Amino acid sequence: MKRPLEVGSDELPLVELDDVLQHRARIGAAVLLARHDRLSFSRLKVLLQETDGNLGAQMRKLEDAGYVAVRKEFQNRRPVTWYGLTAKGKRALEQHLAGLERLIQQARRAPE
Amino acid sequence: MDQLERLQGDLSFVRGALDTSTRSKSPSALYFLWAAIILMGFALVDFQADLVPEYWAVAAPAGFFASAYLGWRHARRIGQASAADGRRHLLHWGAVLVVVALAALLGESRAMPSGTLHTVILLLLSLGYFTAGLHLDRSFLWVGLLMGAGSVVVTVVPLYAWTTVGIALAVSLTVAGMREGRSREATT
Repeated sequence: MKRPLEVGSDELPLVELDDVLQHRARIGAAVLLARHDRLSFSRLKVLLQETDGNLGAQMRKLEDAGYVAVRKEFQNRRPVTWYGLTAKGKRALEQHLAGLERLIQQARRAPE
Repeated sequence: MDQLERLQGDLSFVRGALDTSTRSKSPSALYFLWAAIILMGFALVDFQADLVPEYWAVAAPAGFFASAYLGWRHARRIGQASAADGRRHLLHWGAVLVVVALAALLGESRAMPSGTLHTVILLLLSLGYFTAGLHLDRSFLWVGLLMGAGSVVVTVVPLYAWTTVGIALAVSLTVAGMREGRSREATT
């Protein structure tokens, strides 16, 4: 799942980032789920400003990677899909964010 | 550096989404509930002072549990459930409730005259609302300040001071609840 990010400069060493979390909507969903225990599909859609189709596809990728758990239930006879971050997802997010932090620090140190 | 710029853009977008999600909002019904409870309870001090302890002994815990239920229902309705946030609200308002109840016992034991006790309770509530405004929900900040000002008013104004303060608090809570409802409509 991890691969080095090519930053296009010899000055910057390669940093390992998680492929699954390299999409804006996917890392956004993971960060939001790390902060809140459970978020519904429609809440994620509003917060991440995504369309139904795109968010559905991105969440499926997180689900396939085992990073999020899905629970479907009915609220007032309407189906609601809830997402929660799994322990695996939490670990992956922590490592990914640490990698990003290193990358940005290195980029700041690198000469123009 | 294109990729790096994209990453920074993504992170700033995620931070924005996180800020929006953590801007803690209480349900409008909760403001309206406490507007009604406070209005009634404060007016009683002027019109039926002997009923004040009984009223608050029932209304305060009932309001607390009703608020917890409204908060839980609201979290499900907006699709955002956070046990940590729920715990923080429960601990804050639970502590306010306990402290006010302990202060009320001072009145029962005649350690404090009832007039002073009412003002002390108002000051405690003012602190409770103000700190809630700082740490939980910004809308409570003004209610806390208004309560603080109200504690001065009830010691200075001789007639219907509690009713006046109660009306002012009920109006400010109602306005805060209406603004909350409107801002939620705009973001959902």
